[in-house]
Amino acid sequence: MKSISGRTLMALLLAGLLLFGLLTFLIRYGIYADDWISHSRSSGVRSIEKVTDRSGRVVYAPHEDRPYSDDGLIRRATVHLLGDLEGNIDPLLLKQYIPQLVGFDKINGTYGMQSGNGHVELTVDGSVESVALQALAGRKGTIGVYNYKTGEVLCAVTTPTFDPYDAPPVPDAADSALEGLYLHRFFHVTYPPGSIFKLVTTAAALETVPDILDRTFSCAGSITVNGEVIHCQSNKAHGEQTLRQALANSCNCAYAQIAQLVGAEALTRKAEQIGITESLSVDGYHTKPGSFDLGGASKNRVAWAGIGQDVDMVNPCQYLTYMGAIANRGRAALPYLVKRVSSGGTVRYQAKTDWTDPMITRAAANELADLMHNNVVQMYAPVNFSGVKVCAKSGTAEVNGKQNTATFAGFIDSDQFPLAFIVVVEEGGSGAATCSPIAANVLWACLNVMRSEQ
Amino acid sequence: MQAISDFIGGADGVSLLGVYHTLLRVSLPILALFVVVRSARSLLGFRREPEVWAWLRLATGELLPVTHWENLIGRKKTADVVLSFATISKNHAVLTRHDDGHWTISDVGGKGRVEVNGTRVMHSRVNYGDRISLAGLEMSLEQVSREEARLQAGARTRAGKGHSPGLTLILLTILQVLVVLSFLLAGVEGQTTILTAYGILAAVEWCLFFAQKIIRRSGFEIETIAFFLMTMGLAVAGSANTANLYKQLISMGLGLIVFLALGFCLRNLETAQKLRYLAAGAGLLLLLANLVLATRVNGSKNWIYIGGMSIQPSELVKVCFVLAGASTMDRIVTRKNMLAFVIFTAFIGGCLVVLNDFGTAAIFFIGFLAIALLRSSSYPNAALIVVGVGMAAVMAVSVVLAVKHFPHVGERFSGFGHIWSHMNDNKGYQQTRALICIASGGLFGLGPGNGWLRNMAGAGASDTDLVIAFVSEEWGLLMAAMLIVALASLGIFVVRSAKVARSSFYTIAATAAVSILLAQAILNFFGTVDFLPLTGVTFPFVSNGGSSMMACWAMLAFLKACDTRQNASFAVKLPEKEADKG
Repeated sequence: MKSISGRTLMALLLAGLLLFGLLTFLIRYGIYADDWISHSRSSGVRSIEKVTDRSGRVVYAPHEDRPYSDDGLIRRATVHLLGDLEGNIDPLLLKQYIPQLVGFDKINGTYGMQSGNGHVELTVDGSVESVALQALAGRKGTIGVYNYKTGEVLCAVTTPTFDPYDAPPVPDAADSALEGLYLHRFFHVTYPPGSIFKLVTTAAALETVPDILDRTFSCAGSITVNGEVIHCQSNKAHGEQTLRQALANSCNCAYAQIAQLVGAEALTRKAEQIGITESLSVDGYHTKPGSFDLGGASKNRVAWAGIGQDVDMVNPCQYLTYMGAIANRGRAALPYLVKRVSSGGTVRYQAKTDWTDPMITRAAANELADLMHNNVVQMYAPVNFSGVKVCAKSGTAEVNGKQNTATFAGFIDSDQFPLAFIVVVEEGGSGAATCSPIAANVLWACLNVMRSEQ
Repeated sequence: MQAISDFIGGADGVSLLGVYHTLLRVSLPILALFVVVRSARSLLGFRREPEVWAWLRLATGELLPVTHWENLIGRKKTADVVLSFATISKNHAVLTRHDDGHWTISDVGGKGRVEVNGTRVMHSRVNYGDRISLAGLEMSLEQVSREEARLQAGARTRAGKGHSPGLTLILLTILQVLVVLSFLLAGVEGQTTILTAYGILAAVEWCLFFAQKIIRRSGFEIETIAFFLMTMGLAVAGSANTANLYKQLISMGLGLIVFLALGFCLRNLETAQKLRYLAAGAGLLLLLANLVLATRVNGSKNWIYIGGMSIQPSELVKVCFVLAGASTMDRIVTRKNMLAFVIFTAFIGGCLVVLNDFGTAAIFFIGFLAIALLRSSSYPNAALIVVGVGMAAVMAVSVVLAVKHFPHVGERFSGFGHIWSHMNDNKGYQQTRALICIASGGLFGLGPGNGWLRNMAGAGASDTDLVIAFVSEEWGLLMAAMLIVALASLGIFVVRSAKVARSSFYTIAATAAVSILLAQAILNFFGTVDFLPLTGVTFPFVSNGGSSMMACWAMLAFLKACDTRQNASFAVKLPEKEADKG
C-alpha cells in the first residue's frame, strides 16, 4: 500500500498544475486585462462617439455611416492613426484608451459602464496634417512635428497612404509604390539618418573634446581612413574648416576626423544616452528601435558612424526627441498624441508631460543650437524665417540599390513656438533641397495653428 | 417574482442598484470563498492516523501493526510490513483482510516460502493465532481487541470536526438564495424555472445531508463541493438557456442514483471487484453502441440521440474504465488481470480513434496513466508501457484525422498561442471573446443575464467549453477561481487519503477518478484562456451537459470510498461494526 500511495502524487501534480494555471492566469489578468478589453469590438471602438483634432475638427465618429472626416486630405493624412474599415490598420492609438472609454477597471470590469459617448481629443491638427501630406507630394516618407516643452505631437503623417472610403486592395510585396502601406513610418520604420547624425557626433565632440571649437579640419574632397576612401558630396574640397563650417558644409572628411577624435567609446556612449537603440512608447505605439553598431570599432567604421552612414539606423519619432532635447537644452518632453479622453462628459484621462532622460549638457546644447541656426542661415533658405529662429541639419543617406533617402531635422528655438521637427523622404535625393521646403510649409502651418491658439 | 422586482425597483431604482452592488456582488464571492475554504480545510486538515486492523507478533514478542486491508510484507522500505531480514524477499507476501473480517495470505512469487501452521501455501486463509512462517521467520496474526478498536475509533479525526458540514451547507444554501435573488433582480426571463431549479437543488442537497446523518456519516465536504460547482453550473444555464436547467437536474438525479448505488457497492470490496467485470462489459457495450448509433458532430462521433435526449456514451465509459482499472494488492503484485485490463484499454483506444475526439482521448489517456502508474508500482510493466504508447498514438491519430477531415478542428490547434491575430476566425474567435468577457466581468461580475457570452451559448459552446469565462463574466473572476480551487482540493484530498487507505482498489479508483476530473478542468480552463488549444472538454459539474453531469457524480463515489476518516463516508463501513463480525 505504501508503494501505491506514493504514486497518487500524479493527482497532486494535476491539482498543482490546475492551481498553478489559475495563479498564472490571475497574474496575466492583472497585467493584460486592459489589453483584452481594448480588443472588444462591442464595448471597444464602438464606445467612442467622436475623435477630434486639436482644433476641434471631428476626424472620426465610429457610429456614423461615414465615420471619417469629410475632407479627403485629412482622411488620408489620419487613416494610419484612426484605422481603416477593413482592419488592415490597427487603431493602436484608440485601443490604448478603450479601458478608459468604457470605464473599465480590473476590479469592477465594465460594470455600470456607459457605452457610446466617449470622446478622444488628439494633439495633431488636421490642417497641418493636410499640408504635410500635400508637401510630400506622393513620395514615400514621414513628417513629425511636436512641442518639445509639452510633448504634444502636432503632425505625424506617413506615406504612402489611402482614402479609407476608397481603399486599394492589399498590395503584394512586389508593389514598391505601396510598400509598407499599412505602416506608420513615423513610429514603425527606421532609416539611415545620413548627415543629420552629425548632430550626435557634434554633441559628443562638444562634450568630450575641450578645444574642439578652436581646432580646424582640412578637406581635400576625400580622405582615406584605414584604407577606405571617404568622399565629400561631389568630391568637393572644403579646405580648412572650423567645426561650425564643417557642420554647415556637412563635410564628411572633417567629420571622419572628428569621429576619430571623439573615439568609438564616447560616440557609442552618446548614441546610447540619446536612446537611438531604444523603443519609445507613444500612446499605444512602440517605436522601432534604431541601431548603432560600431562592430570591431575599426577606424573606418567609426568614421562612417560619425557621418551617419552604414552602421546607424534611427527611428524618426525617437530622433525627434533628440532635436527636442537640444532645443530644450538637455532633455525633451516625451511625445504624445492623445490630449484627453472623456466618457459621458467625465474626463477619464488627461495627458501630462513626461520627460526623456538628459541627452546633452546645457553648454553643448547652447553651442549646438547656435551651430544649427548657422546652418539655416547659411544653407537652408526656405526655413530661414524672419522673426523665428530655426535650427536644423539636413542629411542625404545612401541606401543600397535605391536613390538616397533625404532627411531633415531641427527645431524652432523659441519659448512661444517650441517645436521640433523631422522630415524623411524616401528616394528623395538631397536632404537640403528636398526636405527644407517641405519643413518650411509644415512649420508655417504649425505656427498658424499655434498663433490662433495663443 | 416580477412583483417583488417591480416593488423594489419601483420604490427606488437608484438605491436598488446600490444594494445590489454592495450586498450581492461582493457577498457572493465571499460566501463562495467560505464554502470552498471550509470544505477544503475539513478535507485536507485531518490527521492521518492509520487504522490498525490486526497485529503481527514476531517470535521476539515484537508487535507489528497491520494498517491496511491489503498489506505487502517484504524487505523493501515501501512494504507495509517491513521485515529487514536477508532471507525475506523484497515482495514476499500479501496479507489481505476480507469483507467478512477473515484474513488470507498470498505468496507473491518471492524467493522465500510462505507457510501457515507448517504447511507451504501459495494462497491460504489465516485465522487469528495461526503460525505464519516467511522463509523461516515465525510470526502469528493477532486480533485487535474490541477495546483497542473503540479507543482507536475515538482517537481518529472525525469527519467534519472543527468545520461543521451542516454550517458549510447552510452557507452554500445562502449562496444559492443570493444567486436566485440576483436572477430575480436582474429581471431575466424564465424566473419561475430558475427559482424551481434552485429549490430542487437545495432540497436534494439537504435530503442527502440528512440521509447521511441518519446513518451516522458526517463527511459531506465532497458533496458540498459538487453542489457548489452545480450552483454555478445552474447559474450559467439560467442565463444562457433555462430549458437546460431541468435537463441538468434530471442528469444530477440520475448521477446521484449511480453515486449512491456505486458508493454502497464499494463498501464491500468483494462486491466491488465483481462489479469490475460488469463495468468492463458495460463500457464495451456503450462504446459499441456509440460506434453504431452515434452521429458526427463537429467532426467527433460522440453523440447518440434518443428521442429528444442526446447522450454522450464516452462520458459514462469513463466511470466503467476507472472501475475496471482498479485492483487489489495481491493481484497487482502477482500481475493477475493485467492482460484483461490491457486488452480492455486497447479496445477503448481503438474506439477512440473512430470517435475522433481529441479531448476525450486525452482524458482517457490521463485516466489510464493514473491507473498504470499505480498498478505498476512494484515493477516496470512492459505491457502497460506498450498500451501507454498506444494511447498516446491514439491521441496523435485523432489530432491528425481531425485536422485532415475537419479543418475547423485543425484551426483550433494552429491558432493556439496567437489568438489575437485570429479574432474573427475559428483559430481565435472563442478564446479572444472569452478573455475579453473575463476582463469585462472584473472580479465581481456583471450579474446574471448581463454577460455577452450568453449570446454564444449552445452552438458557440460558451456554456460548455468556455464555461469558466461565462461564470467569470457574470459572477466575477473570484467566483470562477473558487470553482477551480474547489476542484483542486478534491485532488489533494485523494492524495492525502491514500496513505491511510484500506485497499489499493479504492486508492486506484479514487486517484484515477480525480485525475480524470482534474484533467477535464485543466483542459477546459487552459483551453479557454489559451494556455492550451481548445479541446471541447467539459468542466466537471459546471459545464452544460447531461452525460457529463451523470458521469461526474458517479466519479464522486470513488472519492467517497477512499474517505477513511472516522464516520465520514457512506461508502466506507464503520470499523466497530467490522470488529463485531471479526
